[in-house]
Amino acid sequence: MFAQLKARFGGPLAMAMLTLLGMWLIVMVTLPQLQMIDYSLRPNLLPAEVGGPKDGWTLDNYVTLFNNDIHRGIFFKTLWSSILVTVLTLIVSYPLAYYLAKVATPRQAALCLLMLIVPFWINEILRTYSWFIILAFRGPLNEILLALGLIERPIRFLNGDAGVMVGMVYAYILFMVFPLYNAIESLDDNQIRAARDLGAGTLRTHRRIVIPHAKPGIATGSIMTFMLAAGSYAVPALLGSPGSRWFTQIIYNWFFEGGNWNQGAAYAFLLLVLCIGFMSLVMKFFKVGLGDIAK
Amino acid sequence: MDGSVKLDEVVMRFGDFTAIEPTTLAIESGEFFSFLGPSGCGKTTLLNIVSGFLTPSEGQVLIGGEPMAGVPVNRRPTAMIFQNLALFPLMTVFENIEFGLEVRGVDKRTRREASERLLSLVALEGSGPKLVTELSGGQKQRIAIARALAVEPRVLLLDEPLSALDLKLRQHMRAELKAIQRKTGITFIYITHDQGEALTMSDRVAVMSAGRIQQVADPMTLYRSPSTGFVASFVGENNRLEAKVIDRQGERVRVDAGLLGELPGRAGAQAPLGNGQAAALYIRPEHLRPVTQGASGPQLEVDIVSVQFEGASLMLQTRLVASAELLRVQLGSELAKRASTGSFQPGERIILGYDPDDAVVLPDDGSPRLDEETGEVVETTAGTAGAVQPSGGADVRSA
Repeated sequence: MFAQLKARFGGPLAMAMLTLLGMWLIVMVTLPQLQMIDYSLRPNLLPAEVGGPKDGWTLDNYVTLFNNDIHRGIFFKTLWSSILVTVLTLIVSYPLAYYLAKVATPRQAALCLLMLIVPFWINEILRTYSWFIILAFRGPLNEILLALGLIERPIRFLNGDAGVMVGMVYAYILFMVFPLYNAIESLDDNQIRAARDLGAGTLRTHRRIVIPHAKPGIATGSIMTFMLAAGSYAVPALLGSPGSRWFTQIIYNWFFEGGNWNQGAAYAFLLLVLCIGFMSLVMKFFKVGLGDIAK
Repeated sequence: MDGSVKLDEVVMRFGDFTAIEPTTLAIESGEFFSFLGPSGCGKTTLLNIVSGFLTPSEGQVLIGGEPMAGVPVNRRPTAMIFQNLALFPLMTVFENIEFGLEVRGVDKRTRREASERLLSLVALEGSGPKLVTELSGGQKQRIAIARALAVEPRVLLLDEPLSALDLKLRQHMRAELKAIQRKTGITFIYITHDQGEALTMSDRVAVMSAGRIQQVADPMTLYRSPSTGFVASFVGENNRLEAKVIDRQGERVRVDAGLLGELPGRAGAQAPLGNGQAAALYIRPEHLRPVTQGASGPQLEVDIVSVQFEGASLMLQTRLVASAELLRVQLGSELAKRASTGSFQPGERIILGYDPDDAVVLPDDGSPRLDEETGEVVETTAGTAGAVQPSGGADVRSA
């Protein structure tokens, strides 16, 4: 890699680039992670006791999760809900990505992409708050549904997981649409035409031709959406009800309310393991490698 | 199984642009029919109208006598072979061929039998389990044919399927396509800009230009008796000499070719040639031959500009002494031999003659024609535009 960069940019610049990259990986990613693992393996002690006889490596912090029914429940609820968010985002994004890649004229596609991107110029908290307003008990959505006579009394959208789902699908849709769009866009139009010509209907054409081709894009989008959903804090904090807590909120509480960084680090590490596990499963299931995802 | 295709006053417009002028055409069941024309002439648009990918702005398509209006692509009795073949790269050869049957709910065993049979038809037995990406260009070609035939179409539509192959393979595939067509008896509609393909394989050819069918005829008639200036210059090579009609007696026409004087020719099929009308005399390079001074028949004095040796023949680029126009002359192997003994050198002045039966006189109708130097289609401004009367014994009408 150095030889390539040197040939292209010259020795000093190549060296600087690799040093920066190395610094980034070691100082910003590897060392903090190692420190977090170290934290997670130590008991929560008073400052005076650190380094004393009580200090030492232990798995107690990990055991906490398995002994605490509520936390364990939230851990698995976070897993299922994130998978559900991923699936919902995929269902919403696929037709959109297909439309952008194969149906829309370049003008329509550009306009549509712009409309998708513009909301993301606004901060995530504000965007989430806007959903909080839309979905509120006396909010515009309920008012419209009431006015249309579709419902008789307002619905509590923010009670339970529905609000969190809506908020997350909205927040992460671009991370699904773009990989899907890239994958579908690279499909030769004649493949679709050939399938139609051989008698396939719309559903079969998608199932046998478009979706298999878009697999790497589906895998990439799913992994990104899942990671973001499982690690999300703002959306469940704002749109979730007390009964729909996210695992990230528990971690946050250990760190900043409970003041137990060691316990928080153990929980955070478990969440990381969950995400990596999901990612490997998806990659295995879709038969794609890391290289396909980085594209 | 009626595989006839009828276009009834079909028009195709894209916005302000008319891609297909009103076209009526009948293709018989079991016929190998080609649309020949330069790119942009509308031939692919016509194919897409027959396959159902496009809906004509006006008129209708009938396949086997049934109107196809409202019948979607996947319900038409047609199958298409795409220019880039469009085989499914993630599937095996078997899966590709069986796709159309799978869609139709045919059970697995029957499907496999059908694909085995088709693989033997295209001489690729045993390659079923392979991935299509493992095949060579010619093999992919045959799989595409097998896949299209698997759905037992009444009409097979071929969109320049040989253009991606190299010359040798292309010539081989021509013979193979023709053989498969004979064996299956399916109507083939073939789109190409390559006249060699159209002439060698087709029962009939429709020559198209600017959204209009210029002539529909069997290859021999097309070559011998072009009915418009465009067909004369697009099919095969032709020398074009502008002239005015002096008089006409039956087939035989005398024209005044300006500085070249009076020349005889044969009237193009059904061409209305009145006395004094602006016309063009078309003589093919292989119909010109050197003659001795004083021989009977028409005589054209030329200077040889350059000589190209083409193996079986010799191509002379010559300039008419009288008018300075260029004339291409192809000499057969017997005459070409003389070049090795010093004859036909650049700068030499020779006299060319031709059989008046081989020179076709067509009215200068203002129809687009090919520019002989660049090979591009040009719209001629001379003559009275719009008076095209395509013919050739076929039921074709272009208004």
